[in-house]
Amino acid sequence: MCELRECVLQIPESVRQDVTAFRETVARYLAGELDETRFKAKRVPMGIYQQRTGAYMVRVRIGAGLALPAQIRAIAAVSRRFGSAHITTRQDIQIHDVPIEATPDIFDELLAANLTSRGGGGNTVRNISASPRAGVDPEQVFDVRPYAIAATEYLLDFPTAYNLPRKFKLAFADKAADDAFASVADIGFFAHIRESRKGFSVYAGGGLGGSPRTGVLIEEWVPVESVPLVAEAVRRVFDKHGDRGNKHAARLRFVLDRFGEERFREEYRNEKESLTREGVPGTPPVPRMFPSSWQDGLSEQAETLPPDALSPFIVPEAMNGFYSIRVNPRHGLVTSDALETIARLAEENGEGVVRTTQQQEVLLCGVPGGLVAETLGALCGLGKEIFDEARPSVVACAGAATCKLGLCLSRGLAEAIQDCLAGDAASAPPPIRISGCPNSCGNHQIATLGFAGKARRVEERLMPFYDVMVEGLVAEGKARLAQRIASIPARVVPDFLADAKRTGKYSKESLQTLATRYETLPDPIPEDYFRDWGSDEPFSLAGRGPGECGAGTLDIIRVDLETAKGHLATARNATPDRERDEALHGAVFSVARALLPVFGLEPKTHRETFRDFSERLIKPGWVDPAAQALIDAAQDWKVGDRETLADAEADLSALIERVEALFVSLDGHLQFRLAPVSESDPTSDAAKSPQDAEKDLRGVACPLNFVKAKVALENVPVGGTLNFLLDHGDPANNVPASFREQGQEVVAVESEANHVRVRVRRSK
Amino acid sequence: MNLTDEQVERYSRHIILEQIGAAGQEKLLAAKVLIVGAGGLGSPAALYLAAAGVGTLGIADADAVDLSNLQRQVIHHTADVGTAKVASAGARIRSINPDVRVREHPVRVQASNARDILRDYDFVIDGTDSFASKFLLNDAAWFTRKPLSHAGILRFEGQLMTILPGKSACYRCLFREPPPQGAVPSCSQAGVLGVLAGVIGCLQATEAIKHLLGIGQLLTDALLTYDALTMRFRKVPFRRNLECPLCGENPTVTELAGAPEQACDLSKGCNCAC
Repeated sequence: MCELRECVLQIPESVRQDVTAFRETVARYLAGELDETRFKAKRVPMGIYQQRTGAYMVRVRIGAGLALPAQIRAIAAVSRRFGSAHITTRQDIQIHDVPIEATPDIFDELLAANLTSRGGGGNTVRNISASPRAGVDPEQVFDVRPYAIAATEYLLDFPTAYNLPRKFKLAFADKAADDAFASVADIGFFAHIRESRKGFSVYAGGGLGGSPRTGVLIEEWVPVESVPLVAEAVRRVFDKHGDRGNKHAARLRFVLDRFGEERFREEYRNEKESLTREGVPGTPPVPRMFPSSWQDGLSEQAETLPPDALSPFIVPEAMNGFYSIRVNPRHGLVTSDALETIARLAEENGEGVVRTTQQQEVLLCGVPGGLVAETLGALCGLGKEIFDEARPSVVACAGAATCKLGLCLSRGLAEAIQDCLAGDAASAPPPIRISGCPNSCGNHQIATLGFAGKARRVEERLMPFYDVMVEGLVAEGKARLAQRIASIPARVVPDFLADAKRTGKYSKESLQTLATRYETLPDPIPEDYFRDWGSDEPFSLAGRGPGECGAGTLDIIRVDLETAKGHLATARNATPDRERDEALHGAVFSVARALLPVFGLEPKTHRETFRDFSERLIKPGWVDPAAQALIDAAQDWKVGDRETLADAEADLSALIERVEALFVSLDGHLQFRLAPVSESDPTSDAAKSPQDAEKDLRGVACPLNFVKAKVALENVPVGGTLNFLLDHGDPANNVPASFREQGQEVVAVESEANHVRVRVRRSK
Repeated sequence: MNLTDEQVERYSRHIILEQIGAAGQEKLLAAKVLIVGAGGLGSPAALYLAAAGVGTLGIADADAVDLSNLQRQVIHHTADVGTAKVASAGARIRSINPDVRVREHPVRVQASNARDILRDYDFVIDGTDSFASKFLLNDAAWFTRKPLSHAGILRFEGQLMTILPGKSACYRCLFREPPPQGAVPSCSQAGVLGVLAGVIGCLQATEAIKHLLGIGQLLTDALLTYDALTMRFRKVPFRRNLECPLCGENPTVTELAGAPEQACDLSKGCNCAC
């Protein structure tokens, strides 16, 4: 048994050094010595994200969701000076609206309270979550907090922890009913006792977001001592096989998909065996047992409350006469005053810890029955935005209000739903989970009833939509992802739920029947369908962008590609010529527009779209030059200079295929990995081989051009080739000569007007 | 790991080398080297390994910077006098190369902690200044199977050797045990040419880099001696000793043990790195 303050997450020494170094990074950025991109690469791993407004957000790790009152006060002090504090579904606390120049001081302040945001973002071990009522829950198998904390400390102290292919999430559940979401974590641990020994069953490769999946069982049971071994073995599988090249398919679950369960388990077993032989690296910290949550000083007030005094907000604990109290700030947003009150209540009336939950809520545990009323009174005094027993449970991500990836204003929808469903708890729907985009920060993919925002083009304008998701479940061995049953306009989601509430039926079938009715758009479409909840402006994607991750832009491209394909299919079946040509024209337009967001362009008119497409995709050779004739034809047809587009169908089909291939080849930086179609000879190998990309080194002086060329060639498999564009003169002479000297094969040197194209095969 | 543009530029003169390339540089960035003693030998080794982009450098030293150190311990500056050597060295390394993560071990490496400290590193540089420490590091490297660069300097002479535990001869294969106390003068009595520390420390860094990259031949099964006055380098070959008390067939040293402090012996070959 340790002191409480020794039991919570301790910040490793290496993190303190990182924080010191970051101060210099910020200074260099502010002095203009560090460009935006490089700065971002340093800031995101420190847990700092840029908001849509340009200000920043700091994501503070709350290890296993356990914070001391002093830590909460430190967060409150920072939040008071800058912006709101937000509890996330992974038990972190985010501080919003922070100017970047303030972050080094904030970090120092947080460190003084033994808190950090290091690893809050980036390709690293993220906050390790745990069952929120661990230690007090009558249903728990054993207290998992010490193991979650020790695992965090162990994994965070490796320098390699920050260079993983992508983020890596661990969760510890203290029972099969998975309130830690361990069944959809990269590694999920479930507490089990075997032969009087504490241990875990272990699942790996789960995750939400794009291509979500539930984890697969990799260990039936391991003793608690093996947690570092198991975690490190899985981390190594991820490190070795995670696809760093494609950030959208880099998470561990894609390794699992690629390998299949058998090989995945085998790779894991191999790593585990060699680690067993060598011993795990470093020194795993010894798990520290928490002191009792039921304070001696409060035992006199311990009294059992009558059943009718209980509610979803007042839940009995394993010790008779003690209760957990749920505090449900709207959207998980807490003011600094509220944080301070909560810290005081935890200290005076409870276990001395403030717990954060996967529901974006706060839990006060170890509150004796005799102090429940007083505690509730103090919470009510904070106002309904912080504590409201009548508010239906709706978890929403931050959404397009601040998140760069957000499509829809998920919080606006949450409020609309809460307003329309308030009161009458009896027929209330199950807890609702909303994400503002297909990423699953609001956890809609495991929701009993959830919504995921998307954008659709209707009458050439964007309309906010939500996918309706049902029947998600997290539980050991039985986890399943929610299924989409319909897509309905954002505007009608509250009406849809109100209808469902009237029937009181929330089964998949009845919701589906109901939702289908809302899928059909009224004619004419009311203007407010084009507005999102919480905004008076027409729905737009302004302010979105690749941001911290390219996912949002990719969705828009996908929409245009699907539209183009839809038009093409229509054209093939359409009988009147006019209708067919209309569809073909629509397809040309959509496919021309599809990839423009990659270049940061959102043209408004057809003319601008075709012009941009020509400039950005045809001229640089990304698509076949024949595409120019196609868009010319489409424009001519539109103004009546051309009779028909029927003869364009084959070229159009090829163009859609090419644009789709380019789209699929996009990497995390929104660069095409496919080579351009060669201008001179579209049937040459260069156009066909996907490895045969081109590296433009014009304007790069010797010897750095050779250095960059060499680095690029090392990324090509042995036997593959790569083209380099070099300036005439020294570069064109030196680079091929240097490659030959080092035993690489220079296949071709072609002199062109403005540059020399050198083709090199990697021979070793 | 993919090198950033900034890294490609910073390490360009490494990457150009056929034997290194981007792959080799990435190995260095992923590597962890422990330098025991931030003194005369440790200073140049740390500076060059930092510049080379060795991703993690551990510095173990319990002392503070003294004015008399500055004649040869080039990682410390005049303003650092009185501060902990690990802090002073750490700050210098970070300012040379922010890619490098510094782990500061502000402790004397001894029998009780040596295994724990060495465990997480790929290569160990002995920059200590006493026989006791040199034997201890040799033994700890054996028990943890960590490659070690041993070195010593005194007056105008230096020596070094590289040890791959279990594969090549160890320090005890050559010198069974520390000389009796008082038999040898310590550096503070004997003095040392400052630049000599630079030459030998740089040779140690060279060995570390070669080992991390897996290139060239290491200075194993041989002792290199250097006389600054005559500019003579000599490479004396020797073999693993089957009777070595540590790595021989019937070892008598089976666990790490502390030994009383010893000073160095001019006649037996110089072993002091102060």
